Amino acid sequence: MAEEYWKEKRILLVDDAREILALLESVLKEEGYRHIYTAGSVREALALADEIRPELAVLDVMLPDGDGFALLERLRERGDTPALFLTARGEEADRLKGFGLGADDYVVKPFLPRELLFRVAAVLRRCYREENPMVKLRACRVDFSRAEVLKNGERLPLTAKEYELLSVLYRNAGRIVTIDALCEALWGDNPFGYENSLMAHVRRVREKIEENPSRPQSLVTVKGLGYKLLLEEK
Amino acid sequence: MKSVPKLIRRFTAILAVSGLLLLLLNLAALVVIGRGRTGSRSPYMVAEETASALRKTAAGYVLDAPARETLEEEGAWAILIGEASRRVVWRTENTPQTVPERYSLANVARLTRGYLEDCPTYTGEAEDGLLVLGYPETRYWKLMWPSWDYSLIAHLPMTALVVALANLALVFLIYWAANAALLRSVRPIVDGIRALPTGEPVSVPERGPLSELAFHIDRTSQILQEQKARLGKKEAARANWIAGISHDIRTPLSMVMGCAAQLSGDSALTPEQQKRALCILRQSERMRDLVSGLNLASRLEYNMQPLHLRRENAAAIWRQAAADFVNADPAGQWSVRWLGEPGPCFVTADRELLQRAADNLLQNCMVHNETGCRIYLSARREGKSCLLSVADDGAGVSKPELARFNSGPGGLSGGPEEDGLPHGLGLQLVRQIAAAHGGTAHFGQSAWGGFQAELRLPLEDSGA
Repeated sequence: MAEEYWKEKRILLVDDAREILALLESVLKEEGYRHIYTAGSVREALALADEIRPELAVLDVMLPDGDGFALLERLRERGDTPALFLTARGEEADRLKGFGLGADDYVVKPFLPRELLFRVAAVLRRCYREENPMVKLRACRVDFSRAEVLKNGERLPLTAKEYELLSVLYRNAGRIVTIDALCEALWGDNPFGYENSLMAHVRRVREKIEENPSRPQSLVTVKGLGYKLLLEEK
Repeated sequence: MKSVPKLIRRFTAILAVSGLLLLLLNLAALVVIGRGRTGSRSPYMVAEETASALRKTAAGYVLDAPARETLEEEGAWAILIGEASRRVVWRTENTPQTVPERYSLANVARLTRGYLEDCPTYTGEAEDGLLVLGYPETRYWKLMWPSWDYSLIAHLPMTALVVALANLALVFLIYWAANAALLRSVRPIVDGIRALPTGEPVSVPERGPLSELAFHIDRTSQILQEQKARLGKKEAARANWIAGISHDIRTPLSMVMGCAAQLSGDSALTPEQQKRALCILRQSERMRDLVSGLNLASRLEYNMQPLHLRRENAAAIWRQAAADFVNADPAGQWSVRWLGEPGPCFVTADRELLQRAADNLLQNCMVHNETGCRIYLSARREGKSCLLSVADDGAGVSKPELARFNSGPGGLSGGPEEDGLPHGLGLQLVRQIAAAHGGTAHFGQSAWGGFQAELRLPLEDSGA
């Protein structure tokens, strides 16, 4: 789940259904997000945005005085606010329109609160880097700002590929990232045939982050599927 | 247009065979009738035999009894013209009185060739003269002057063949001329009939001898078009209704799911209450999946779902679905094992739809094995196909149910079940998705005793 740093972000929720707003607010607050603001219309949302300068907007598409797409455009005129659409409109054309306007994610109702929390956390992680993003693992700490691993008082630099590999795993911490998704992240649109190279990079990263690379505790293999990075609680 | 030449060939063959049969029949009839009319013996032979049977004795000429009987049977009379005297030296009793007594050479030549006193006569060489056999006037009709050019007879077989062929050609020419108009009007009708099943509008010009047929084909096409339009309207209305319902239900369902999820984790509630909240959550998730599945199934069935086909690694899609499933089940109640071969399986596919098929199958394992089970996923190449499978070691499905899943056209037209909803919608959707990719889906029992679903999709030729 999101770290403390992201839980300080101001989140604006816009939906014409008051019950949904109350539910979202309660779900986010239970997770630890402290600054939640709600609006039931475009007018209300814009007024609130001017006041609070939201750092993430969760928008419904159908609103009583306009639509979420137009609202996003108006919000973007005020600043580069990350946005996530949460709507009952699941048609392909709607989703494409949402992403076309620069939305960071598009969730179709009905949704599971847990799923929404993951998506909110992922958008925040992507859009706001912690000022001093020091990630604690079982045997070391990773300093992403310097691309270094701090282990046993030593600073071990990460190569570009190792950094990218750790970043992708960190953005999906606690979740399996498939071999294919990792290859795509590391080698682009034609990632076929890089499985062995990926294994070599994983081995080298393990040598840097694990106490015993042969018995990995942080970067674990999920046989046949991919890899998972396990963080230590702060 | 393969059927028109076939039709012509058939007619021509019928014509040729009919002609041949007719000829044979006529010949046979001629032989039978001729034999009946001419009796069993030739008059020339009778004349020769009679001449041989006539003997000269001291008492005069005597005709043997058998020959006499033959003459009586035939109703014939006979005379013997003496060799030297050229006079009648013997005669049968029934010889007409008008038969002359004396004969010149010219008389002999005439009676030999034709008639004597209007009776057809035939001659035979007797011991001392010429035996003349006369028949009643209406017994035979003689050709008196038959003679043909020698070369005509010499070339008779070839001439007959040429004449027969010419006749045949003439018959076919007449046939073609007679049927050309018919064939001209048959062609557009054949084209029209062939176009009818394509569902395209058909218009056949209503002229020629088959104009009535053309009219009926046009009318049929018109009715089909009207039915198609009506059906399209009905299908669109149905799909839109489902889409509308699925849209309207989403917000209230969000509330149900959200509140149930919160309650299921609320420590202020008793474990029993939390369990009930979890039950509401699970059931509302099923409703969500059902509504969304129904929507997609109706769109696929009515071809309203746009397919974004591109070269995809099916193994990667299957692996991603497995990873998403594991990520969503942190407790590990349903453990997932990957048994796929290394290396990609390239297919032409809509990534989202294929992922949806995998999600459906994984959800199916989960829903039918609520207490947990082991799930096995694999993606492998077999010949020109990519085999994607999801299997479990859970409760499995009965054979009749498996048979039902594997039979029939699938889709929403399969008919409602006892609960009023198409049962196994998730699996029907999987089958529809496989079909939309030119593949098939098969459901059976897994090697671990549970349920297994296998999708067979055509591999992309280009390979990796």
